[in-house]
Amino acid sequence: MQRPSQEPQAGPLAGLTVVELGDGTAGPYAAKMLGDFGADVVKIEGLEGDSTRRRGPFPDGHPDPEASGLFLYLNINKFGVKLDIDDLTSRPAIDSLLASADVLITNLPTRRLQKADLEPATLRERYPRLIITTITPFGRTGPWADRLGDELVTYAMGGIGYSTPGMPDASDDLYREPPLHPDCFVAETITGLSAASATMAALLGRERTQDGCHVDLSQHATIVAMQIRDSMSSSYAGERYNRLLNPITIGRMPNFYLPCKDGYATIAAPMDIHWARLVEAMGSPAWALSADFSTPTARTANWIALRVNLIDWTMTLTGDELYVLAEKYQLPIFPFYSIRKMANTAHARERRTLVDIDVGGRRAAMPAAPFLMRETPWSMRRPAPRLGEHNSAILHERHGIAS
Amino acid sequence: MTTNSKPLPLEGVRVLDLGQFIAIPFCTLWLSWLGAEVIVIESRRRLTSRTAPPFAPGMQGNLDASGYFNLLYSAKKSCTVDMTTAAGRELVRRLAGVCDIMVDNFSTGVLEKLGLGYDTIARGNPSIIMVSNGAFGRIGELRNARGLHSAVNLFSGVADVTGYADGHPRILGGVLPDPLSGTYSGFAAMAALYHRGRTGKGQFVDVAMYEAMLTMIPEAVIDLTLNDVDPKRIGNRDRVHAPHGIYRCRGEDTWIAISVTDEAKWTAFCGAIGQAGWLVDARFTDAANRQRNVAALDLAVEGWTRGVDVHAATDLLQAAGVPAGPVLRVDELLDNEQLQALGAVVTIDHPVAGARRQMGLPWTMDSLGADYRRAPLLGEHTREVLTELLGVSDADYAKFEADGVLN
Repeated sequence: MQRPSQEPQAGPLAGLTVVELGDGTAGPYAAKMLGDFGADVVKIEGLEGDSTRRRGPFPDGHPDPEASGLFLYLNINKFGVKLDIDDLTSRPAIDSLLASADVLITNLPTRRLQKADLEPATLRERYPRLIITTITPFGRTGPWADRLGDELVTYAMGGIGYSTPGMPDASDDLYREPPLHPDCFVAETITGLSAASATMAALLGRERTQDGCHVDLSQHATIVAMQIRDSMSSSYAGERYNRLLNPITIGRMPNFYLPCKDGYATIAAPMDIHWARLVEAMGSPAWALSADFSTPTARTANWIALRVNLIDWTMTLTGDELYVLAEKYQLPIFPFYSIRKMANTAHARERRTLVDIDVGGRRAAMPAAPFLMRETPWSMRRPAPRLGEHNSAILHERHGIAS
Repeated sequence: MTTNSKPLPLEGVRVLDLGQFIAIPFCTLWLSWLGAEVIVIESRRRLTSRTAPPFAPGMQGNLDASGYFNLLYSAKKSCTVDMTTAAGRELVRRLAGVCDIMVDNFSTGVLEKLGLGYDTIARGNPSIIMVSNGAFGRIGELRNARGLHSAVNLFSGVADVTGYADGHPRILGGVLPDPLSGTYSGFAAMAALYHRGRTGKGQFVDVAMYEAMLTMIPEAVIDLTLNDVDPKRIGNRDRVHAPHGIYRCRGEDTWIAISVTDEAKWTAFCGAIGQAGWLVDARFTDAANRQRNVAALDLAVEGWTRGVDVHAATDLLQAAGVPAGPVLRVDELLDNEQLQALGAVVTIDHPVAGARRQMGLPWTMDSLGADYRRAPLLGEHTREVLTELLGVSDADYAKFEADGVLN
């Protein structure tokens, strides 16, 4: 199996040419997926650069547009040019880039594209073989087409916000626990990946039709599409989603997320066979053998007492000790890992789940390949571009545009 | 979005689907809608998710009426082959010989035990692309560990950045590791297909569900390894911008998301809600001050939201240029006016379960179509697949049937 490679590799998408007009995470991540797997990506940034350059994390927290960890991660394997897309003198450069490209990926607002005369319909006529992938918060048509949406808003409107914390860690206090968004770019990352997938589909379609395509992707719809499991009961039984911790939401008990000596763990015993093993793992305490917990029906009826009793047990053990028992008794029990702990596991090291990245002259680690390809492994061919780093190499030398 | 007259992007691509649960069925759901011919191997001994609720009303236990199955298996073919029999395994091996892509999310090692591992299959069909999806992947110390979505969530590090302010790690909803890793599996399959089109070479792809989840937290991973800063759980706040949160509105369990990401939006926000005084409040003068006084700021914002209707508040803020929207439950979304206008909600009729709605692809393509057809009945395509694709004779088919190979 080929793990992420330290040596530059061509990648499965070698030969494809992509232009990115992106900002933040969604557009840049879509282009990164194609670039990471071999496409030649040219990222166009405006005069101030991608807003992620101003976000960090920076070495010791000191802002530096060339040392934003997130920017450097999202934009590896790309060339970068600085162009003011609203300035008419930039037109020849943009036209030349698009004329030789297979794909344009953009998550700039619809109005910005209009203003710069980069409407998808216009581009489809001008470049008939071009795949144009537009990412907008809610899609380019419909009553919400002009609404503003970002990571938080599309996540909250997409169903997953309401269902977080999620199974088996549901809310036990609707008032004190609002719907929850993690401190990361959930919606934008999923959207970037889905936009990359849609682009791949259009490219494969083009092999046969020889025709380009406008892929019009809605970030909100993408988040909703991921909620297929939670949508089943409304589609088939007209049920309302319940976010409270109880057997109606969680199903067979026990199925809990509980504190332990040094952290938290999920503990499940959905069938009688699991319950018997769990009782044995706990050392067959008297409470567990009582009629209150002897059948699935009884355990469900007495789930609050069951939860309290289980916490008394889990609090005597560390997460790792619980996992040893899980292995021994074949139980679905799993402890919480901090990022630090996960990064230090032999497993993550063996797979090269994380690889080195240089951030402002200092070494850090970043997520590497999202999957391992045996024939065409992921690799880092070039670091993220400095703002305007390749204006000369790409625009002047490759496209013959005067400065 | 049902545009059958347009060419389908993956027409002519054949996929052998050995998936279970959600991850791989979700992967092949998008591939089948994009035009691939997806052949699902199941049997009465291995009923994928046909026994899982919810069922169509009054059809509890009907193997053709499970919503779990029917929503995830739209537009696929059902071929019943019992892989516990030697003849059944041989049929699956032969099918792999005529497929472009093979996908699975068994526990690590199961395919090899069945004699259907990549090395065996690739000997007969060197150009096959195999995408194999597991909780912890197919190599590494934990490759044999079993993990439900919650375990994947807890191992990936995502729980480390999920939680209320200063509270313990929580678990993200929507069983996201499944559809997310399924989407990565689909991308990998298409990238490998593109490569094969140029080189003729197939390959093996190892998808670990936790690594799919890890792609959502680069910021926290880099902050930790660059600055030795452990993640701090901060509820719905942002590490840079404020206000940024999910605030209580009028009515029970009703919430609005508001995201103020620059000074122009802050000015617009204060103006829209009639709090121009906040613009000159020393605690809130710029992003850094608002971040320093974020608890007081969130309290003040919620003081306004508590008294207002969530939809009226959304309209007011959107008109002022501030990103805002209601927190929506998944059951509200199939009726959502925007998703309906996009054609993103599709209605698919099924002879047993009736007409049911579900989310289709979250994008449209002007020159290419998508194919939304119903899920197959159990074994509906067994004869077609075996006789037409493998050339199994009627006599052999009858013998396989009699021997229980096609159960």
